[in-house]
Amino acid sequence: MTRVPIPPADAERRNTVCQFCIVGCGYRVLKWPEGREGGPAPGENALGLDLREPLPPNSDWIAPAMHRIITERDGRRFHVAILPDGRCSVNHGLASVRGAGLAQTLYAPDQETKARLHVPMILGPQRHERTSWWEAVDLGSRVVKAVMDRWGPDTVGMKFFDHGGGGGGFENNWAVGRLFFSGIGTRTASIHNRPAYNSEVHAAGDAGLAPLTNAYLDARLADTVVIVGANPYETQTNYFLDHMAPNLQGATLRSKQAAFGAEPVEPGRMIVIDPRRTMTVAAAEAAGGADRVMHLDLEPGTDIALLNAIARVILDRRWHDVDFLRRHCEWQTFESYQRSTLQVDRPAGEVVAHAARRCGIAPERIREAARWIAAPKPGGFRRRTLLHYEKGLIWGLKNYENIAAIVGLGLLAGNVGKPGTGISRLGGHQEGYVRPPYPGGRPALNVDESVRRGEAKVFWVGGCNPVLTTLRAEAMERALKQRGRIVTDALHATHGAPVGERVAAVVEAMKRGGMFILVQDIYLTATARHAHLVLPAAQWGEMNLTSINGERRLRLYERFMDPPGEAIPDWAIAARFAKRLRELYLDDRNPLMANRFLDFEWRSDEDVFIHARYQFDGGANDPMEGYAGVTYDLLRRLGNEGIQTPVRMVNRVPSGTVRLHEDGRFFTPSGKARFIPAPLPWPGYGAAFEAQRRRYRFWVNNGRTNHIWQTLYHHRHVPFYRDRVPLPYIEMHPEDARSLGVEPGDLVELSNDVGTVRATAYPTTAVKRGHTFMVFGQPRGAAGDLVSDHVDPTTTIPYYKGAWADIRRIGPQPGTRHVSFRPQNVAG
Amino acid sequence: MTEEAYGSGPERHRLTRRRFIRTTGAAGAGAVAAGMIPSRAAAAGTGTAGYPVQPIVELSALAPETTVPFTYPDDRAPALLLRMSESALGGVGPDSSIVAFSTLCTHKGCPVSYRPEHRLLICPCHWSTFDPAKAGGLVIGQASQALARIELRIESDMVVATGVDGLIYGRHTNLI
Ligand code: FES
Repeated sequence: MTRVPIPPADAERRNTVCQFCIVGCGYRVLKWPEGREGGPAPGENALGLDLREPLPPNSDWIAPAMHRIITERDGRRFHVAILPDGRCSVNHGLASVRGAGLAQTLYAPDQETKARLHVPMILGPQRHERTSWWEAVDLGSRVVKAVMDRWGPDTVGMKFFDHGGGGGGFENNWAVGRLFFSGIGTRTASIHNRPAYNSEVHAAGDAGLAPLTNAYLDARLADTVVIVGANPYETQTNYFLDHMAPNLQGATLRSKQAAFGAEPVEPGRMIVIDPRRTMTVAAAEAAGGADRVMHLDLEPGTDIALLNAIARVILDRRWHDVDFLRRHCEWQTFESYQRSTLQVDRPAGEVVAHAARRCGIAPERIREAARWIAAPKPGGFRRRTLLHYEKGLIWGLKNYENIAAIVGLGLLAGNVGKPGTGISRLGGHQEGYVRPPYPGGRPALNVDESVRRGEAKVFWVGGCNPVLTTLRAEAMERALKQRGRIVTDALHATHGAPVGERVAAVVEAMKRGGMFILVQDIYLTATARHAHLVLPAAQWGEMNLTSINGERRLRLYERFMDPPGEAIPDWAIAARFAKRLRELYLDDRNPLMANRFLDFEWRSDEDVFIHARYQFDGGANDPMEGYAGVTYDLLRRLGNEGIQTPVRMVNRVPSGTVRLHEDGRFFTPSGKARFIPAPLPWPGYGAAFEAQRRRYRFWVNNGRTNHIWQTLYHHRHVPFYRDRVPLPYIEMHPEDARSLGVEPGDLVELSNDVGTVRATAYPTTAVKRGHTFMVFGQPRGAAGDLVSDHVDPTTTIPYYKGAWADIRRIGPQPGTRHVSFRPQNVAG
Repeated sequence: MTEEAYGSGPERHRLTRRRFIRTTGAAGAGAVAAGMIPSRAAAAGTGTAGYPVQPIVELSALAPETTVPFTYPDDRAPALLLRMSESALGGVGPDSSIVAFSTLCTHKGCPVSYRPEHRLLICPCHWSTFDPAKAGGLVIGQASQALARIELRIESDMVVATGVDGLIYGRHTNLI
């Protein structure tokens, strides 16, 4: 019978934050030895609850998924329960589907997570073979040094996490940044999901805005929340459920009255700009009623036209915030924005009608959206609108102009730096970005190209899986396989030879096009399979780490268990390589190079944090990063409430920042925000996409979904999640499915001029006819196989949502009998 | 009913069906008089390991797309029996169309309700959505498991509850 053991009253307690999405919900960790159990009376258990009676709704119930038995390195076994923290103001005790299963991701030798990497490995003749840390670090460092010395630092390519949460944290990010930027000095760097090392929101930065301006509280206070290209019910779950939905329901009216005094308040409204009718739309309607939710289901790639048309209506109706524009914006940029972006030389009706045709949205709805965003409230009070965007815009047609459009719309009506407002990305993963400056310029080097073309001689991948997630994924894998093979042969030929000889052979192989591949990760990923060296990393819960969430809330994620086998934190891996490189350069009598690898002598997670902290004191140039006075001890005291960055010393006390730009200052030399004028009202698809669009029948959108995190690297080892998405699914309109003879659950093949991929059909009216939506990054089928390697030349960000393909039915897919294909967007 | 050879199939589903075979195999041990009015009175016979055997409704009274609320395994555990118009995983009766679930949402314990137009059980609190034809599995939403499934069998003309597969919200064990 299913039974969850009762944690005893003296169970060990730790605080942590969910390792997954940007929202960063607080969780409590309870740990106690196997063989012991608490009692059901309130005084007998760590929950302090009477478990002799069923708990009422919204209690601290430990679901079976929240519990696991773990084994430490010394063989001792413990119960671990991880449950949502009712005292955390981010989630108030709510778990998401992903967070509720955190315990299922813990390493356990008798569960599927035993697949974790335990020991360093080198690619042997047949398969990966165990090696020692010393040998792995020595060989890897010698190869890196040989490549740097012969071809220069830019031939050492890297693709690494830059996350907070499970993907990294400040500690690991700082160490990785120091190794690659201060030490090696390569510009051939890229961030986990994209070809280059760049911001995804350059335009916001150029406008002087921080990427994450608002507090989650603002979603409770806003009159209108605008969501562009994002699906927060599924992918920023508790931000939606615990902050946005209560506002739509009218449950936050008292907070609004308390904050705004005489200003009239009412339940919030929501505008969702997304080609799909997502669960967010359905849940928002269930929460607030259909008349308070507006869904603008635009055609792909037309966001710029839509956002700018809404802005034009606002300007025309004179709903813009003249006072804010005069005092806090660079007026010259506002003038050019009016002319080139809002096309004030043309009649508003014509501009709106033109945009409406382009976007497939009726002109009245564009006008109505403008009203919801900026029409003054009774008494002449300004409407408070919170604008959020994410990958639909970031990975849309033109990254830079897309972001410029939403930023312009936000600034126009003064919606930043005030309660209930903000212009922020919603975020995907958590943030923990502290690194020395990237040595390259803008636009950044395209690492994927460098790997494919043969310029990178070393490719070092950490905590990401480009074989599944990059664009033109098949070509990436081919490069890893073919170029890696040349080095593999050299290693085999010198098996057992002294390391110097092996390195010489590797260098010779590189002259023939070979590439040496290192992967540090927690599982043997599809990318790691091609690696010559595989380095086992510790994960969340196995080290202390710090990160911020989508409202910049900095917390300590406490260590509560050992990493498996010989796995160590990523920062420690970076430090071992740095130390070895330093020794090798000292042996070479090259103190100049050796000194670039100084100061990696960290003894603990906190040492790394403190080292990083000194570089980020919250000065004028750090929009979000500022950790003045923060220590692990302070964070332990603050628990899951943490403190919002930037943290600055005020009267010698570390003080957080609830909301950015409240002082009316922006991160530009003038201190004023800038509009970024668009060269054209709508840039067009560009020749390659236009050709694809004409040639193939279906638009293939892609994105993340409710149950699974990223590439399922954990979730493929947890049946509950894996069984929901055993294959990538593709949503298609039921009539389109019918026309192809496709039944729910059938296997279909998508193909275009870039590649081919298979998926399971999920017919649903969530997508319009001719549109489809495919799960991103599923290990058994990568949407990236269809995406061309085109990038926005201004930012080196791909148009990841831009793929068109034909679809054909393969046949019924066995093994999907247990999978539900009922609608995912019904709600109330 | 045969086991599917599907490597990554749902653990719970496999378990469910093994258990289902076991319980139906035990039928006859607890014959319930036909025509008996559904009641909370303990019926004769055995359920799964300590669970009461409880008659719910007469099969002949159960048209397709009907629902019958009841409580199980005790009166603090609301549940819902459904006769669907399609066959359901783990279902009993005609075309395996009869299933029953605890209605306490496995997210935070709000009561789910059946939406016939979508053939889904939906929770009003955070909109977790469960498919009764797929063993109560989570279609979308924030619960970390399927709805606790009430194990059923048919005895004469009576649908009888015999056990619970999965933990009911708010309990560390189903029989508290
Ligand atoms: S209680 Fe049912 S979805 Fe939260």
